Amino acid sequence: MTIHRKIPASRITDIDALLQILDLLPTSIFVKDERLNFVFSNEAHCKVIGSGAEKLLGLSDADFYPREQAEKFMIADRSVLNSPEPQEFMELATSTDGSTIYSLTRKARVITSDGTTYLVGTNTNVTEMKRYEVELEAKEARYRALAETVPVGIWHLHEDGNTVYVNPFLLAILGMTESEFSATDPRDMLALSADKDVADMIGTASRFETDLMSRGRAVARTMIVSSGWLDNAGVSGRSVMVTFVDVTKISDLQTVNDQVTRLNQELSDNIKKLKATQEEMVKAGRMAQLGQLTATVAHELRNPLAAVRTSAFVLDRKIKGKGMGVEQQLQRIDNGVVRCDNIISQLLDFARTRPVQRKLLDLDNWLAKAIEEEAAKLPAVVTIECTLGLDGLVAAIDPERMSRSLINLISNASEALVGKGDTLSGGPDFVPKITINSWRTGRGIEISVADNGPGISAENLLKIKEPLFTTKSFGTGLGLPAVDKILEQHGGGLEIASKPGEGACFTAWFPIIETLEEAA
Amino acid sequence: MARTLSILVLDDNAENADSLAELLALDDHKVQVAYSGQEAIDAYRATPFDLGFFDVMMPGKNGVDSFLEIRQGRPDAKVYFMTGYSADDLLKKAMAGGALGFFGKPMDLPRVLDVCQQAA
Repeated sequence: MTIHRKIPASRITDIDALLQILDLLPTSIFVKDERLNFVFSNEAHCKVIGSGAEKLLGLSDADFYPREQAEKFMIADRSVLNSPEPQEFMELATSTDGSTIYSLTRKARVITSDGTTYLVGTNTNVTEMKRYEVELEAKEARYRALAETVPVGIWHLHEDGNTVYVNPFLLAILGMTESEFSATDPRDMLALSADKDVADMIGTASRFETDLMSRGRAVARTMIVSSGWLDNAGVSGRSVMVTFVDVTKISDLQTVNDQVTRLNQELSDNIKKLKATQEEMVKAGRMAQLGQLTATVAHELRNPLAAVRTSAFVLDRKIKGKGMGVEQQLQRIDNGVVRCDNIISQLLDFARTRPVQRKLLDLDNWLAKAIEEEAAKLPAVVTIECTLGLDGLVAAIDPERMSRSLINLISNASEALVGKGDTLSGGPDFVPKITINSWRTGRGIEISVADNGPGISAENLLKIKEPLFTTKSFGTGLGLPAVDKILEQHGGGLEIASKPGEGACFTAWFPIIETLEEAA
Repeated sequence: MARTLSILVLDDNAENADSLAELLALDDHKVQVAYSGQEAIDAYRATPFDLGFFDVMMPGKNGVDSFLEIRQGRPDAKVYFMTGYSADDLLKKAMAGGALGFFGKPMDLPRVLDVCQQAA
């Protein structure tokens, strides 16, 4: 161990031991005289300077450090010598071997008992620390730049309620200055209900959407993401990082999108309606044309029919009781007239576009009478069972057209059972029966005509209401379409239920119209 | 025996008019036939018929308008109408103008004879 010193010999014994101790310390220690020349340097200090102590003593910083650094050191030194207080400096020092370190230097003035003034200094190499600090600063600058430029609101809130940081974007959304923000109750900003605390919302890692309020007014729809309480390494309590993404435009976009979707739906619905209307118009046009044609044909056919019937009637009267044996032939003529007239009626009912001619009727009475009249015309083998349950209900219907509908349903049922009266559809034990019921339901009046005949195949059931469809060898295919039309004109319809082998049931229904005013 | 009536049958369709006239004549009614509205009007001017059977739709003056014109000269003229199909507006007009009723063609002839009996 070598002690390097330039101290008067008389003092050596006093501090010899002390100097040896100082040499052992990892901290660089030096002593300068009033002229700022080194009078002591321990081992660690020699390393800092990069020179042996034997060369160092009696010299100054200017002899070892770059001029600029040396001048700074000497200015500091003089300041220390003029002050009773120790001072601390962060210095950049380049040693003789060219390496540069950051040194935290503490310097103090020491005046010995004989009045000699010295400067004592220590250096701590803080290069590593300084490097971290610089890095940290650079990082912080980067993060700050990021926080201040991202289009996301950022709010760093301490658990004590103080705002640690709020970024300009959030302030811009709110239209506030930083101090205004600090003075705002976070509860007001997040539009929280009274029973909710801000901590409830952001105290745990969460994501929620809410209106962001500024001075009582919603300024943006925001998606809020909270980090939840962060521990801050136990150093300064807990804090939370909350970010705000303005989703107003996204919400707007969603609204627009919803609107477009709705409009598209409407458009598609309208196109469908338009198509349906078009079809309806074409149909109506055809029906109007058919109606006109039918009316003309009806007129043109019924005149000669009338002449045929009247002439046959006259003939019948003229030859009555003369034993000429032509009654059967005359009856055939009249049957033909009736049949033609029925076809014309069906055509008119089917094609007619003019409104129904309603009259107020006790429906069960009307039904009973119509059924009775029709029953008289059916083959005797067919029985009719009737349960009328309208209980004196009076409603406005077109009696002529409704009667034709009923007669059509009854005669259809009869033909299904026994053909024209000669072909029984079942075995010898078969009892052909027509069951007629009337009753009231929520939708109005229902009248069903059911038979226990052979029933209708599923295939035919689909086509049965189509005009001109018939399974009879002798039919216009206009009977059921006409019935359907008449019920449609009464605001109702015709429903058909049948299975092959299980008979068929035709149900006519129409709403109750109790006064003629209501009908008009 | 019921009283015989003087009856006018009006129909532009001659077969219709003639066959109905024949039928009514069988019951000993005095029947005259007109084939147009104007003919009927002229006939009524000459004769106060007890009863008339008028077709509705005809070329030229229709049955209803002819009837209304006849009623101006003979307010008590009794007429039934005959129609091939319901021409609602014309029939309403006829009923409002005092017509007794109407028959759909081809007519229910026993009923035609009945109404004649009732009028007699």
